[in-house]
Amino acid sequence: MDDIWTSNLKDTVDSIKNNNNVYTTGKVVKVNEYNVEVTGLNDVTFYEEVNITEKASGYVFGIYSDRVIVALVNIKEEIKPGDMVYALRKEFKCLFSLDSVGKVIDVFGNDLIAGKRFDNLVELKVENPPLPLMDRGLVKREMLTGITGIDLIYPIGKGQRQLIIGDKKTGKTQICLDTIVNQKDKNVLCIYVALGKTKKEVKDIYYELTRRGAASYTIIIASFHDELPTRTYLTPYVALSIAESFMLQTYDVLVCIDDLKKHADIYRQISLASKKTPGRDAYPSDIFYTHSRMLEKGCQHRNGGSITILPIVETKGGDITDYISTNIISICDGQIVLSSKNFTKGEKPAIDYGLSVSRLGGNVQDDNMKKVGSKVRIELLSYLDVRQIYELANIDEMSEDLQRRLREGKVILDNLKQYKFSPKTKKEMIDSYKFLTEKNAK
Amino acid sequence: MVVGKIISIFDISIEVILNSDTVKIGDILTVQDNREYSFEVVTINNVSATCISLGSTRGLQKGASVIKLSEGIEFEYSDNILGRVFDAYGNPIDSMKFNSVNKKNINNNTVTLKEVDVNADILWTGIKVIDFFAPLQKGFRMGLLGGAGVGKTVLIKELIHNVYASINAHAVFVGVGERSREGKELYEEMKESNLLDKMSIVFGGMGDNPVSRSKSVYSGLTMAEYLRDEKKKDVLLFVDNIYRFVQAKSEIATELKQLLIENGYPSDMSNDISKIEERISSTENGSITSFQAIYIPADDYNDEAVQIITSYMDGQIVLDRKIAELGLYPAIDVFKSTSKLIDIEKIGERHFKLVEEVLRYLTRYKELEEIIAILGIEELSEEDKRIFYRSRKLRYYFSQPMFVAEAYTNIPGQFVKIEDILIDVENILNGVYDNVDESKFLFIGKYHE
Repeated sequence: MDDIWTSNLKDTVDSIKNNNNVYTTGKVVKVNEYNVEVTGLNDVTFYEEVNITEKASGYVFGIYSDRVIVALVNIKEEIKPGDMVYALRKEFKCLFSLDSVGKVIDVFGNDLIAGKRFDNLVELKVENPPLPLMDRGLVKREMLTGITGIDLIYPIGKGQRQLIIGDKKTGKTQICLDTIVNQKDKNVLCIYVALGKTKKEVKDIYYELTRRGAASYTIIIASFHDELPTRTYLTPYVALSIAESFMLQTYDVLVCIDDLKKHADIYRQISLASKKTPGRDAYPSDIFYTHSRMLEKGCQHRNGGSITILPIVETKGGDITDYISTNIISICDGQIVLSSKNFTKGEKPAIDYGLSVSRLGGNVQDDNMKKVGSKVRIELLSYLDVRQIYELANIDEMSEDLQRRLREGKVILDNLKQYKFSPKTKKEMIDSYKFLTEKNAK
Repeated sequence: MVVGKIISIFDISIEVILNSDTVKIGDILTVQDNREYSFEVVTINNVSATCISLGSTRGLQKGASVIKLSEGIEFEYSDNILGRVFDAYGNPIDSMKFNSVNKKNINNNTVTLKEVDVNADILWTGIKVIDFFAPLQKGFRMGLLGGAGVGKTVLIKELIHNVYASINAHAVFVGVGERSREGKELYEEMKESNLLDKMSIVFGGMGDNPVSRSKSVYSGLTMAEYLRDEKKKDVLLFVDNIYRFVQAKSEIATELKQLLIENGYPSDMSNDISKIEERISSTENGSITSFQAIYIPADDYNDEAVQIITSYMDGQIVLDRKIAELGLYPAIDVFKSTSKLIDIEKIGERHFKLVEEVLRYLTRYKELEEIIAILGIEELSEEDKRIFYRSRKLRYYFSQPMFVAEAYTNIPGQFVKIEDILIDVENILNGVYDNVDESKFLFIGKYHE
């Protein structure tokens, strides 16, 4: 090892003597799984892009008095101690091509289906500073999913962040896909971010969206578990950076992030590897900030553009009160909770209407939808409560009022059932609840 | 004057090697050639200072020369705060012109035991469940506890609507680690209803770095203190949400590689909380009544931070996910919600006895629910059936349409007087409404004519 230190010192002295210090340079002294420790790089900046000869690239992740930690995002060849490191004198950025629409891409300029690099690439910052408060507008335009239980009862607005949360196999991804497909001819750019999904799943989603004609306005950004964890960690930030650049040009963008629990786990892995003190459930203390600053990108811009985010979180045993879930619930503007019990009962989409919330609610609906929606919601919740209590009671002995509530409640619930990819229009939704609203008018 | 050079950068934690002994803890340093970056000094030894960055450190260069900017974060301390919106460091963010008259360090303040004032009038909120179970008086610190997404922010907004709009007080709103969307909405709503002129707002949003989030609390307190001490006003202080302050402190402690206690909280957490809560006190100059939303992480009511914060509260309102699930808003857990005013000498015998009776009914109701799940409702005795049906009415009665939630619920808000609440509750308990269907009590104001 002595050799490295001596030769490194010699190199530095030489380059100062020759005055040819084009790049600040350094040498690898320790190689970890996805970061390396480097000596030299004496005036490097935080988050600067760095190349390790031709073998790998990454960015400055930490600067200490005697060494620099470089997080790797790309490894072509095995790195060895002693390899030269060049700082590129610019901020680490990701690459994006405007030809990405309809393709499956990563955030380093590759078309994953064609297996080649795009030609016309632009550089994008991984993260931009938060949008100034006064540049934000109010969220009040609807983003229709075509699903009655959402559009009518827990509506989503353009610029809203609505979490989709539930166990495995409850139809979380399906709600995103339904929503994307329902944006056809509505001038919305959709970005589907697949984090830690299997390659098979991503390809299925790609074919499904292409077959339903959604590819012409959808970008799929994928990062897989067999890649460097830093790549997966960065991917959703870059996806939102892409969305932001479109929003600033007044586009409406929909971003689905599938899923953030995996992202949290990957960030935990990286944090523990860099020796950060673990907190609750071994997640680092800044796990909330990791997601809050990401999801804060979702907003209505006052110029007219917007970013709507549908993050997904996978739970275990239907428990939405674990650490990561509650963190993300508290960041979002509402949540659609999916229950595996409803799913197996055939009540699809398997929305748990009691636990789901929209913090914007009627604000994003038109007057008709609002009127019908709030009525349906109150009647439905009261039915679900009453149904439980009178499950064993004799129906003939009940009061007239109660019998009516039980009867109508059942119809309300039945009308919410919907098969996948069979969107309803607002009129169809309102019409199916005429019996409630018309009776009220009398 | 250059005081040192940067030698280490790791996220928001920065080390500066010093060449001057003029640097003290709490000082604000900045980079000589680029004032975008600034840092607060946290610890010093004779060769170096460890600092936390007030903003992002991306692009910050190793070896950059550092100069001293000020002796700590300073916040406007004049009438110019009225009707304005600031970031945590005292910069206006409402894109209007701003003239600074007088500034004050946000850290240096405390209230002595001699100054603290404890006598005050009752303050009615018009929210049935609060006025009945957890009434408050001027100068109270009220905690609004709840897990994620059970309605803390809506309740805070309703309190702003009902209390601030109806009494002639000044108000300070502190947004700590909450949504920017809601901040913008609050600003627009206050502006529209012409309530902004007596209100000052500070935000450290959830997209901002932890230093900004933690400092916003100190900044908000400085504004409240100005209104109390200089203008001699009664002040309403709304904090949404104080847990995020502790959370931000944990993030900073981690970055500074301090040793942490359970769940990653900093070891000096209780000290930090005490310092800010004790500043929220009434003196003979004026009162500060505070409403502090407290987030319950992972729905864990026994969380260390939550427990420490609530020990400073004079009253608490606890929101419960199980009640929210039934659509009964505000989703308050009446068993855990109480205040220091629930005392026979303070609210009078009638109110006190009614609270006791209602709690007795609802406790029995909980037990009966379990029995019914197994045996069905028909198996209950007549007495239990009465308790069961009346309790359901009470449960529905304590839901309330809120002014600020009209857009979600499509039902106009209601302000309910305490006398009306007492009459209604008395009538339900005495069986006057036994023949009325329970759904008639859902989302109403007062029931009796």
